[in-house]
Amino acid sequence: MRQTTAAAVAALTLMAASAGLAGCASSTSSSTSSASSSAGTGASTSTGASAAACTFAGVQGELYTKGVLTVATDQPAYPPWFENNKPSNGQGYESAVAYAVAAQLGFKASQVKWAYEPFDSSYAPGLKKFDFDINEISYSAARAQVVTFSDSYYDVQQALVALKSSPIVTKHTPADLKTYVFGDQVGTTSLAFINSKIQPTQTPKVFETLNDVKQALQTKQIAALVTDTPTAQYISSSEIPGSVMVAQFPSTGEHYGLLFAKGNPLVGCVNKALATLRSNGTLSQLATKYLQIYTSVPTIQP
Amino acid sequence: MAEAQGLPDLSARRSRLLGSSDRRGLVLSIASTVVVLAAVLAVFLLAPGSRQVRHTFFNPTDMWRAFVGKPSAGYYSVGEALWLNIRMFVTAEILILILALVVAVVRQSTGPVLLPLRLVGTVYVDVARGVPLILIIFAIGFGVPALQIRGISSQSAAVYGVAALVFSYSAYVSEVYRAGLSSVHRSQAAAARSLGLSGWASMRHVVLPQAIRIIIPPLLNDFISLQKDTALVGLLGSIEANKAAELYSDTVFNYSSYTVAAILFLLLTIPLARFTDHLIARDQARRLAGARL
Amino acid sequence: MSRTDRGSSPEDPVFVTPGETPAAAAADLRIEGLRKSFGAEEVLRGIDLAVAPHEVVCLIGASGSGKSTLLRCVNLLERIDAGAIWLGGQLITGPGVDENLVRRHIGIVFQSFNLFPHMTVERNITLAPMKVLGLSRAEAAERATELLDRFGLAEKRSDYPDRLSGGQQQRVAIIRALAMRPRLMLLDEVTSALDPELVADVLDVIRELANGGMTMLIATHEMGFARDIASRVCFLADGQIVEQAPPGQLFTEPSDERTRRFLRRIVDAGRM
Repeated sequence: MRQTTAAAVAALTLMAASAGLAGCASSTSSSTSSASSSAGTGASTSTGASAAACTFAGVQGELYTKGVLTVATDQPAYPPWFENNKPSNGQGYESAVAYAVAAQLGFKASQVKWAYEPFDSSYAPGLKKFDFDINEISYSAARAQVVTFSDSYYDVQQALVALKSSPIVTKHTPADLKTYVFGDQVGTTSLAFINSKIQPTQTPKVFETLNDVKQALQTKQIAALVTDTPTAQYISSSEIPGSVMVAQFPSTGEHYGLLFAKGNPLVGCVNKALATLRSNGTLSQLATKYLQIYTSVPTIQP
Repeated sequence: MAEAQGLPDLSARRSRLLGSSDRRGLVLSIASTVVVLAAVLAVFLLAPGSRQVRHTFFNPTDMWRAFVGKPSAGYYSVGEALWLNIRMFVTAEILILILALVVAVVRQSTGPVLLPLRLVGTVYVDVARGVPLILIIFAIGFGVPALQIRGISSQSAAVYGVAALVFSYSAYVSEVYRAGLSSVHRSQAAAARSLGLSGWASMRHVVLPQAIRIIIPPLLNDFISLQKDTALVGLLGSIEANKAAELYSDTVFNYSSYTVAAILFLLLTIPLARFTDHLIARDQARRLAGARL
Repeated sequence: MSRTDRGSSPEDPVFVTPGETPAAAAADLRIEGLRKSFGAEEVLRGIDLAVAPHEVVCLIGASGSGKSTLLRCVNLLERIDAGAIWLGGQLITGPGVDENLVRRHIGIVFQSFNLFPHMTVERNITLAPMKVLGLSRAEAAERATELLDRFGLAEKRSDYPDRLSGGQQQRVAIIRALAMRPRLMLLDEVTSALDPELVADVLDVIRELANGGMTMLIATHEMGFARDIASRVCFLADGQIVEQAPPGQLFTEPSDERTRRFLRRIVDAGRM
């Protein structure tokens, strides 16, 4: 008798569970941060964010940790975007931009905290452990469906770095370019650029970290690496002896944006801050100081 | 009756509701399995973030796109990339099975002539098992090209990856072989030698066949593990399935490509496991010809 | 000795004078001063024993007296510490002796049968003749058939050892040893692991071998069988042959006290 009772209980529980599933599964609504404050793309219409709301006091409600602006980036943090792998020293373009944005919002430097977020998990669903992520992340429409981007803080072009002894230094017509093995870092838009614009015949190599790409260049496993111009400039001038930035490619409209959790309202105030920094010349000053793009980096066609 | 002789009634208990005890057991096990699975599923589907997680990890559109690939957008076909993994682990496994057997036989030998080789074998196994595979991959994958030796230094990343996998796994598999060899009772070797078979012949015809039958499950284990470890070769830049999944994921900010890769690996692993079970069962059946144990 | 010789055949240049038939080619065995220790424990303390061609000698003694060790020394499974062994007049324990070659001529059957479980009965029997003697598959199969028929196991040829009874397995083990046409057979307690009703079949096989003229050295607990078949019985105790005599004499009038005590224990246990 005991065993038949157990079987009956099991059967009833089963039926109840199925009913529960059928009823509830269809009606779950996503409850991560108010989906109603909709799809912010990079567009800068800060809907009704009045000047008062973008002060230190005004943004408290939107922060990950009250009283602190939490900014995330990856490890290692590469120059010229950061210096000495210490985002908190305020040096490097992205570090400086982050502190400048924080200042616009009324945060003191001591009220900015840095968090480590690997790129692969920065766009994971669920709550973010930061207010925004600054990590040379390019805006794309597909990506903007999953996260919210700020406006551009840097407009990007792709560039080539090669060893001085490589034939690509002198032979880089569009037809020549198709014959080389290129290398780039995973998660960047360089691979899409290589495949859509350069269209090489051999599959490019994609490495986990920028250091691996540099290593591959030095051991001649790739003919050239493709990355954004400031990084290329830094690598060829300071990091890999015997290397040279061959050229950069024309802009495709790509830009870097700060990455926010989808629908995070803080992006409105941040965009205002960026607009101010752009109009008062801060961004170009920082670019000149850290990104060392003077004039005439040659531009070639892919 | 049985009771009269002091034994309880030994015939299978019958329940009014569910019939014989065999059938009752079956119903219970099915019911309890379904309940547990339903409970797990319920937790998953009823969680607050469930819809977002399902979209991020199990979105059919993204899964299809990742499976097909679009190089110009910055991501390759996960399905096509899997072919690289397959080629790598098939090649590696063949080499591993051979190299590991050589190492095991050498280490089990007793003659004084082979002493230096035995020492080399022991050092090799210690090093290869002691160093994490990821470091070995880096060492070979970046180190050998850096040496700039003509011919050897200009292979594809997959070649170095396979070399690293063979170097690492052969050590583990050689220990599995050794376990198998020592689990064959030495009376078998004694019997074989007593018939006049040489040490090598008795190993080949008597000891090794028995040893291998015994160690097929752990060998399969290592093989399945190897299939997954081919993902590490992506660190050397080659576009294998997991790297392809990562590329899609980073481009579009959706993890469904990883689900595709996982499913594809499962499709490889499960038939292999069932086939091995079948081999073992067939060998048992032939030996025992219908006996139950 | 040439590595390519087929051994155990009438053409064998070493052990046989031309014209002798295989049964008559049974060799003689001579052991002198054999000592064997395992670590600190000396198991055999100076064994002297001679077995003439066609002679059947039984070794009796308590467990641990060294019977198995002695047999394993004779077929070179154990390395001896002192002494010498001659087979057919040839020293087999000297340096430079090819053990594999020697073992072709000595058949040994163990208490635990040790059939190869992953091979059929037939394959068990034909493996060594094919791989060691170089017989073709057909020749080896023919030899196996002849032996299986002779000992009544023909219908088991395609079975795996697991499916055979203990007595059948032991008979197959004997056949496997015989397939190599040895000059000397060593039997190490071959019936000790069998149920009583299976013992008789195996003893019949051994009896037949003895009647056929095979030189045999048999370690056994079966006193009745020993009395029946042996031309000489040796009693081992403490690693030495305490007494050896024809069975009629040894079992009725043992001269050594230790032998007497041992036999009395056997009688008390109802084994005689």
